[in-house]
Amino acid sequence: MVLRKGGWREWIAAGATISVLFIAVTAGQTAWAGPNTATSPADPHKVIHAAFVAADDGFDIARTYNAYSIWVAESIFEPLLTYDYLARPAELVPLTATAMPEVEDGGKTYIFHVKKGIYFTPDPAFKGQRRELTAQDYVYTFERLLDPAIHSPSAYLLSGRIVGLDALVARARKTGHFDYDAPVAGLSAPDRYTLKVQLTHPDFNFLYAVAYPALAAVAREVITEYGAQSGAHPVGTGPYQLSQYVPRSKIVLTANPDYRGYIWNFKSTGSAWDDQLVREMRGKHMPQVGRVEISIIEEDQSRWLAFEGGQLDLVGLPQSAAPIVMDGDRLKPAFAKQGIRLYRQVLPAITYTLFNMRDPVLGGDSPAKIALRRAIAMSYDIDKEITLIRQNQATQAEMIVPEGVVGHDPNYRSSIPYDRDLANRLLDHFGYKRGADGYRRLPDGKPLVVHLTQEPDSLSRQYGELWKRGLDKIGIRLNITVSNFADNLKAATQCKLAMWQSAWQADYPEAENFLQLLYGPNIGQGNNSCYESKAYDALYRKFLATPPGPARNALVIEMNRQEEADTPWILGVSPVSNWLVRPWVEGFKRHPIMESDWQYLDVVKH
Amino acid sequence: MTAYIVRRLWQMLPTLLGVVLLVFVLFNWVGGDPAYILAGKMSNPQQIANIRAQLGIDQPYYVQLWIFLKQIASFNFGASWSTGETVSHVLATRLGPSLTVLVPLTVMETVIAIGLALAVAYVRGSLTDRMVMIACTVGMSISILVYIIVFQYWLAYKMGLFPVQGWGDHFFDNLFRYSALPILIGLVVSIAPDLRLFRTFFLDEINQDYVRTARSKGLSEPRILWVHVLRNAAIPIVTYVMSNLPSLLIGEFLIERFFSIPGIGREVILAVERSDFPVIKAITVYVAAATMIFNLLADLLYQAIDPRVQLK
Repeated sequence: MVLRKGGWREWIAAGATISVLFIAVTAGQTAWAGPNTATSPADPHKVIHAAFVAADDGFDIARTYNAYSIWVAESIFEPLLTYDYLARPAELVPLTATAMPEVEDGGKTYIFHVKKGIYFTPDPAFKGQRRELTAQDYVYTFERLLDPAIHSPSAYLLSGRIVGLDALVARARKTGHFDYDAPVAGLSAPDRYTLKVQLTHPDFNFLYAVAYPALAAVAREVITEYGAQSGAHPVGTGPYQLSQYVPRSKIVLTANPDYRGYIWNFKSTGSAWDDQLVREMRGKHMPQVGRVEISIIEEDQSRWLAFEGGQLDLVGLPQSAAPIVMDGDRLKPAFAKQGIRLYRQVLPAITYTLFNMRDPVLGGDSPAKIALRRAIAMSYDIDKEITLIRQNQATQAEMIVPEGVVGHDPNYRSSIPYDRDLANRLLDHFGYKRGADGYRRLPDGKPLVVHLTQEPDSLSRQYGELWKRGLDKIGIRLNITVSNFADNLKAATQCKLAMWQSAWQADYPEAENFLQLLYGPNIGQGNNSCYESKAYDALYRKFLATPPGPARNALVIEMNRQEEADTPWILGVSPVSNWLVRPWVEGFKRHPIMESDWQYLDVVKH
Repeated sequence: MTAYIVRRLWQMLPTLLGVVLLVFVLFNWVGGDPAYILAGKMSNPQQIANIRAQLGIDQPYYVQLWIFLKQIASFNFGASWSTGETVSHVLATRLGPSLTVLVPLTVMETVIAIGLALAVAYVRGSLTDRMVMIACTVGMSISILVYIIVFQYWLAYKMGLFPVQGWGDHFFDNLFRYSALPILIGLVVSIAPDLRLFRTFFLDEINQDYVRTARSKGLSEPRILWVHVLRNAAIPIVTYVMSNLPSLLIGEFLIERFFSIPGIGREVILAVERSDFPVIKAITVYVAAATMIFNLLADLLYQAIDPRVQLK
């Protein structure tokens, strides 16, 4: 990486930066700068070399939920709201909105004001005209998410939420054409910069949906121009634009020259890492990085050697490499000496093994069935999974809501321990007697065999071995079926799998995103345990109607206890992600919800 | 000749139809339902039904098969279900990188293996011959994965002789910089089995009467080996090389993944992971067709190599 040497351009740039700083400070504003008064401050010589573990699926986020697609799209497109870079738990802040929305009608109506003077990057679809972002772009973007022709995997964010929108969708299903020009009672742009959204019911999580990348503004002309190829032609208003795209191989982003920029002025959470970030970055006119080169490197060894060999400036540490690089949770001296920094974060995610509550062996509400599920849960050695399989790069999940998500209680402890003696006693008590072969039988004397379904990969095999060892200790025969993920997902959705290992990572940092996975009406659409509990469902509905605060959090605890009482899940872990960063990259901190961070970084001379 | 080619092309149709049927049955039997993947984390039955309708997988099997046949006839396999990229574009952009590695690898592998096989066949039974055969057996016993990992670590990372991974924007940069180590690994892996096989072809010829006659007429050993023996052993070599070419295209996937080469092999793996049927079907059908065409080319080459061969 080469930094431009000093000269008269530096002085002009510095003068411009100081002027912008002065304006921002005197106006009492801290984050996003005003309307398109300056070109992007990014330096084309400041380059970040990054790698993705898997290939993207294009950058039309209405069409895909691929994490790497989202990663890139977040730096090209802009939703009305985003997250504060440093605040934890994650906090929403305005992005293209002038401020947080006005909320009326008891939480059913939201009014957003879009900043003036934000422009899409030039594209032939605009026929040579400069194209300003307007409220109507968000109306189009919101509607498009529910267009049946798009079959968006993110449609659930708006489905059933906005007055009149579902009727339009139903009409589109009948006619085969989504009428984007038809008025929708609950979604309108009363003027060029005002967006009004009326919800069917008060929804305290609606703003998280608004911040989701699939609701970042796209221009209708661009989508019409490129049609099904829109994923290869992302045109947004964000800090970066796509300069080169070699599918499955390379993505190059360059700074959007017309981007309005902002002053880096995020507040430290008080951690030493944050304090250093603030010292490095405060007052800088962002974005600083002018070019981002992303390579798709699927193999761990290749990615790791590329980082060690200097091809990459930062890398997510593969789990298998953790013992080579780290002593406990610290970098080994050989790496620390190079100035490499380690950033660790417990992901806002959980793994779990689900029981099918409709399975003839494992499902049901009778005490004997609950005892069986609980005994199975108590037989699984989660510590061994963490130490042996996950190389200590995970923490045990005590509750459904993981760390970093509103509703998580760090003092909460699961009432289901790892205790094989207790599991054996429980099974004995409920009549699961051992046969001559040492394996137990059902209370009616039939053989007791539980079926675990897995995917055909080496990690799943290791989990399978751990499960087998645990279940053998309590005399339960395990039968493992291996099938591809698509078929397993289909079978789980149709309540046909007895036991299946699954995972969930937060789409937004609120407990509801996790708790809905066990809500009865969500069977067939996320509730793959097919769990129906009147008590849990009543708590969930009460939770939805309760505003954020201690009362809502108390309901989260109650739902966790109800889940433990019925045991439709065996909670697993929250994975830890480790990032290694070269010393010349400043401002790095992984966000728990946002993927993209290049717009918050700087690269210093080295 | 023309009549022969036309007849062979005509004979390919039932074979291709058999491949198409096999592929179709396999995809529908073990391929997984892509609608559940595409629908995302929070799908509902209505969305699933909508996606299945759009992809056409809600149609009866005979309708799906008919659509598949029409796609083959029109060379239009539609668009990738995961990216929306047209399949023709997928193939056009991924074929180049694969061939950049595959063509020089095949040429070098064949030339080197022929040279070495001739040499060891000439000294058959000697210590050199036996040592080379032992080395070949050892070399063949080691997985390609080991070669990739060791060569990437030592030659690229430790010694810095090659880039660890990557792919550039220019042909010569890709050929001489990024493909060099993958080609080297390909050579190391493939020369041992080729050498052993070609050696047996040459040994079959070296003991023939025409070789003795050539020697008695006073021809030099190089001329006997490189002209007479090679020409007569060329037919099984051509058969072997030509029949291997199409499968190499997909077989390269490990090298492509480790060295981040955006080729066909890597694309197949990604397509399988995503149940992306249009891409898988297109590649499978094209590879089957290529196999048959290369076999035909091999037959035509026979006549060029040995005019006594009659194409009937």
